[in-house]
Amino acid sequence: MRTYILKSLLLLGVSVVIVCLIYPLAVWAIGQAFFSFTANGSIVVGPDGKPVGSLLIAQPFTKDEYFWPRPSAASYDASASASSALAASNYQLRDRVARALGPIVKYDGGPKAGQLVASDVEAWFQQDRYEGKPHIVAQWADNHNELAQVWVSADPSHAQYVNDWAKAHPSRVADWMKQNPSIPKPQPSDLAVLFFENFSKDNPGRFPSAVTSRAPTGKTQTMIEPVASGSDIQSIFFDMWRQDHPNAPLAPVPADMVTASGSGLDPDITLENAEYQLDRVASKWATDLKRDPTSVRGEIERMIQADAYAPMGGLFGEKIVNVLRVNLELRRRYGAPQT
Amino acid sequence: MIWLLPTSIIVFTIIIAVPLSRYMAMVMNGDYRPPRALGWFERRLDTGPMNWKQYTIALLVFNTALFVYGYIVLSLQPWLPLNPRGLGMLEPTTIFHTVISFITNTNMQHYSGDQAFSNFSQLFFCVANFFLSAAVGLCALTAIIRALRGDSHLGNYFVDMWRVVIYFFLPAAFVISLVFLAQGMPMTYRADYQVNTLEPAAMGTADNGQPKQQTIVIGPLAAFVPMKMMGTNGGGFFGMNSAHPFENPNAGTNFFETFCMMLFPMALVLMYGRMLARPRHSTVIFAVMLLLFIGTVIWAVYFDTMRPNPSFTAHPADSFIIENTGATGGKRVITVPAVARLPIDQHLGNLEGKELRFGTSAGATFAAATVDVTCGAINCEHDSLNPIAALSPFWGMWLNCIYGGKGVGMINLLLFLIIGVFLAGQMVGRTPEYLGRKIGAREVKLAMLALLVHPFLILAPSGLYSAVSWGTKAESNPGAHGFSQIVYQFSSSSANNGSAFDGLGVSYGLNNNPNPASEAVPWDIGGGLVILFGRYLPIIAPIAMAAFLGMKKESPFGLGTLRDDTFTFGCLLFGTIVIVGALLFLPVAALGPLAEHFGPIPFGG
Repeated sequence: MRTYILKSLLLLGVSVVIVCLIYPLAVWAIGQAFFSFTANGSIVVGPDGKPVGSLLIAQPFTKDEYFWPRPSAASYDASASASSALAASNYQLRDRVARALGPIVKYDGGPKAGQLVASDVEAWFQQDRYEGKPHIVAQWADNHNELAQVWVSADPSHAQYVNDWAKAHPSRVADWMKQNPSIPKPQPSDLAVLFFENFSKDNPGRFPSAVTSRAPTGKTQTMIEPVASGSDIQSIFFDMWRQDHPNAPLAPVPADMVTASGSGLDPDITLENAEYQLDRVASKWATDLKRDPTSVRGEIERMIQADAYAPMGGLFGEKIVNVLRVNLELRRRYGAPQT
Repeated sequence: MIWLLPTSIIVFTIIIAVPLSRYMAMVMNGDYRPPRALGWFERRLDTGPMNWKQYTIALLVFNTALFVYGYIVLSLQPWLPLNPRGLGMLEPTTIFHTVISFITNTNMQHYSGDQAFSNFSQLFFCVANFFLSAAVGLCALTAIIRALRGDSHLGNYFVDMWRVVIYFFLPAAFVISLVFLAQGMPMTYRADYQVNTLEPAAMGTADNGQPKQQTIVIGPLAAFVPMKMMGTNGGGFFGMNSAHPFENPNAGTNFFETFCMMLFPMALVLMYGRMLARPRHSTVIFAVMLLLFIGTVIWAVYFDTMRPNPSFTAHPADSFIIENTGATGGKRVITVPAVARLPIDQHLGNLEGKELRFGTSAGATFAAATVDVTCGAINCEHDSLNPIAALSPFWGMWLNCIYGGKGVGMINLLLFLIIGVFLAGQMVGRTPEYLGRKIGAREVKLAMLALLVHPFLILAPSGLYSAVSWGTKAESNPGAHGFSQIVYQFSSSSANNGSAFDGLGVSYGLNNNPNPASEAVPWDIGGGLVILFGRYLPIIAPIAMAAFLGMKKESPFGLGTLRDDTFTFGCLLFGTIVIVGALLFLPVAALGPLAEHFGPIPFGG
């Protein structure tokens, strides 16, 4: 036994020196000598000459002048890669995707071909009827208790708004507590469904949303107020609108535009996705630069076509575009986007 | 295009595996002359010939040493070098789970490498285990082969380990690391970069009011990844493993990573035949495994890459009748309204949790391969696979012998083989024989013990954890999929696989984490124990079985001998695996992935 222990330690010690010390150092030396750009992470510099990111790591873009990467379950945090881990059967996956679709989906047929559906979603929402029954927001909260609770917990101002409502309506909260004796001290998120049911009846065709306004003192302030339009309506209620209009002709959006990648850091988008975003990007640059939209569009289209590449030269997959590289190219050619 | 990727990988791997198996058989038989310095060290390690008990004890002693070493390295992380980010210590039960997981070649990770491990831990803990734990399984198989062919002794454990690490893994890892370097994988001792992104405000605002910087964690990937894949270890440098762009930068690296994990498992089967001098027999085994392998790949690719994600497609209205004693008539009807299609172009298949740069079918192919060969690395999120496609990784883990891990997969197949021969013998009323040696009650008992450990270690804890808050509070998806997450975790633990349905809340994180997953500790301990038993019982029992079998007298080949190198024998083996191995798991498959597939989608929320 003693021999076995000694030999085990000898084997372990020598192996560790070889495979944990010598072998990586050798690989490192070769990598630094011959492949220093990629061995150091494919870091590229921005217009100011400072490192701006890695070509392999997605970073967020929100301006209309830039191409946008795929959604990230990691919020583009390259120190905490993450996938959504949402099962196909989980409603939260469909909900997340529907919210992303709402503001960008367009008709591809009928009299409104080419127009965004967002304004129709708002008009339908203001009618406040879903599947022939009144009060969309109440039905939304009833069907998706979890989403209603998520809304309340999403921001302190949301919880505060529900709290204020609960204080203003003590009798309704008391009724609720009688029906739910297991929760003696309800938190705002416990009251989410009750709140939305009542809110919907008191504010038909409205949803509580953050509104930034200028106070009389001159300061801007953000308050939660009942609103009848805006991005919250377009995104949250797109799925319900779709259920009411299952046959409306809508142009399909490239799947990678609304699905989160495995790492949360996928640096690429499909060429189709880039083409889909091209109109937005080109028209914004044309406005910024006060140039002819068609020529700008042509330039940018040639740029993404030149930049696109396919896995294994096209043997294994369809063409993709590296978002950071093409955006750096835009920045270099057209200057800084307007704020 | 979709089928070219899996086909080319499989063909390429077989082409390399055939000559490799010849080299491996030669080295393990000792027919080589080592360079002088290495030979000197080999003699230092040699404690002389061992019988099966000595070999097993040496194996266990070495694994104990590996455990202690790993525990020390991880516990001391805050004080060890290469830690400029000042990472603290992992929570102690997580260290327990992680060390068990890595010494057993499982590499299930209840932590996220990018957030919790310094480069020192990645190299001196992970890489050390990549080499050594993979070698342990290979040595066990070698010992079994020597026992089966009736050698007077099983060789020397320490010399075998040395041979595997120095003559197989080290050169192979070095060559592959150069391939990865050339294809653009990072290799640096630097810990991270802090950059201001091109559109700074998009990252959000930091505490000091300035735009938040992007922290890009990096490290010695090109040295880390080759052995992670070739040792079928699968423990990721980053939380998202080979889906992470640094750990798998492009289609080329993905091709070679998939190739790497299949290479040694395939070569080992052929090595088995060469060392026994029965190449035709091992070819039959190889063919059966290949058939199962191709089956799981086709299943995954067909249902995941060639089908859209059902979350976004239209579903007709449906109604379910369920037994409910409370309702009138004892039945309750649940109606599910029709669901409209979301306007998404899904011609590339299910893209949730997939990366684009590897190729269209790369995620599904990798998912099937990684469980078949018990690697456990992932390049897409298995939680987000289409429900029916997820059956492919499940069956891979449940059978656990479709090539299987380093040595252990072949050992598992040997168990099925013994059971198959035994059953066939019973049916024709002859004493069953394998390799000319009579299979007695003792051998069958040992084989059944090793075989039944696996379903027991999956089903019993899955049942327990599903019933109590350890499981129900850890599930991150509703309904049948939540149950699947629990079953997957234990299947992966018992099969020593290491992949996971990542949503399951099992991570405590660093010891000072203020918000750990509430059920992390029971998962660390329960999962760790399942891994431990799932590893060592199916190694020790077969060594004993092979030793007992090898001690018997070899009976001459006669007319009534069951030939082990024919098509019929292949069918027998295939049937045994499917009937004995798969049927055990049909009920959980029905409750998990099948229920999810046939049930209402979307569900919950």
